Amino acid sequence: MIFVAKAGEIPSGERKLVKANGLDVAVFHIGEHFYAINNECPHRQGPLIRGTIVRDETPDVCEVRCPMHGWKFDLATGDSHGRPSNATVYAVVQQGEELYIEI
Amino acid sequence: MSIRMDQIQPIIDREYDYMMSEHPHWSLTKGDQDLELVAHALRVLLHMKTTPQHLSEYLALVDCQHPDGGWGKMSSDKQSAAWVTAFCALMLIRGNLSLKHPRITDSVRKTVRYFLDTQKEDGKWSDPSWADLDAVSHPISFFDVLMGIGGHVVDAPTMDKVKAGWRKGMRFMLERQAEDGGWYDPEFHPTGVEITAHLIQDSIVADIVLGNELNVATCCRKGVRKLLSVQAPDGSWDGENVDHTMDCTRSIMLVCTVLEMRPECDRAIERGLEWILKHKCERGWPDFPGMETNLERTCDGLDTLLKYKAYSQPVMTAIVKLWGYTA
Repeated sequence: MIFVAKAGEIPSGERKLVKANGLDVAVFHIGEHFYAINNECPHRQGPLIRGTIVRDETPDVCEVRCPMHGWKFDLATGDSHGRPSNATVYAVVQQGEELYIEI
Repeated sequence: MSIRMDQIQPIIDREYDYMMSEHPHWSLTKGDQDLELVAHALRVLLHMKTTPQHLSEYLALVDCQHPDGGWGKMSSDKQSAAWVTAFCALMLIRGNLSLKHPRITDSVRKTVRYFLDTQKEDGKWSDPSWADLDAVSHPISFFDVLMGIGGHVVDAPTMDKVKAGWRKGMRFMLERQAEDGGWYDPEFHPTGVEITAHLIQDSIVADIVLGNELNVATCCRKGVRKLLSVQAPDGSWDGENVDHTMDCTRSIMLVCTVLEMRPECDRAIERGLEWILKHKCERGWPDFPGMETNLERTCDGLDTLLKYKAYSQPVMTAIVKLWGYTA
């Protein structure tokens, strides 16, 4: 597990880029949930950390839209809604005040 | 113009050296590569006029062409895709102006067949990685160049088919322009900035070829004005997006030259370029300010500076040549 931050350091609505094991991981805090997704969009490697958060009509589904060419990913599953590749997501584990991602 | 060439040229020279030092990361002579990155690099070779020294790069691209005439995202991919195929073919047809290699001519000819075979009834091409407007604009750009400089590549009946396909594709693009002058795709291009920049540069040829038949000059003029209207006060476009700022800056250079809109656009181009220069990394350019350098963006940055160099010359053909629309 890779340490991300103390939970209070990423307030709701904020995000943080974490570098771990040669990977860049974008961590988002949305509502009561933390999400972690590989920062490189599988389309053209656009930085998802700069993406727009999209609230789906389905309750509790949260997506990030890549700022380069608009590919959209479910932050919980990495699903790209039928595009040729999905994004890789990681579980976020909270231990006390500390946040970790499972890689 | 307040940006002087004696400021730009040393940056071009230094960044070109950097790009060449990254050769193993983009060259097909070194192994499997992302073909969009390869095409970006080959475009820099074209505009640096070093293509004749790099025949092996172009032949390596021919070597990974599929039997159907297309290419995939990676050189090792087996499935062809429209967008990247058009980009590869554009580099080959333009590179062959100086290389004049029969294998490259044959390869371009196969790509013409690929696009004629895969165009849909309504004039578009499809590519699951891109919006329909992207997937149509790149083959149209290839056809633009084929019609401009590739008359010797295909026979007359094939060229007639190309012209018919080109006209259908052009109509598909132009009919989808929004009232405000931009083009949009709700999934891929909600802000419309990048796709508008691409479509005006790909459409402008029709102003020359078709006269006013599709009202293309008006469409492109509206597109330019849309882009001018959404440029940020700091000179960037689309939320400080380096790629899209480079796209807008380059595209406006071409279209405003052809449509004689330079007085209206000069300052926006300059501001765009100033912003691009301000946010470069020590070597190369990032996707967004403050990020690490990105090789594809570095190729785009070099291309933008080289196009600005051409834009600064008094003859209109200097900039038009850098899209391959004329020899």
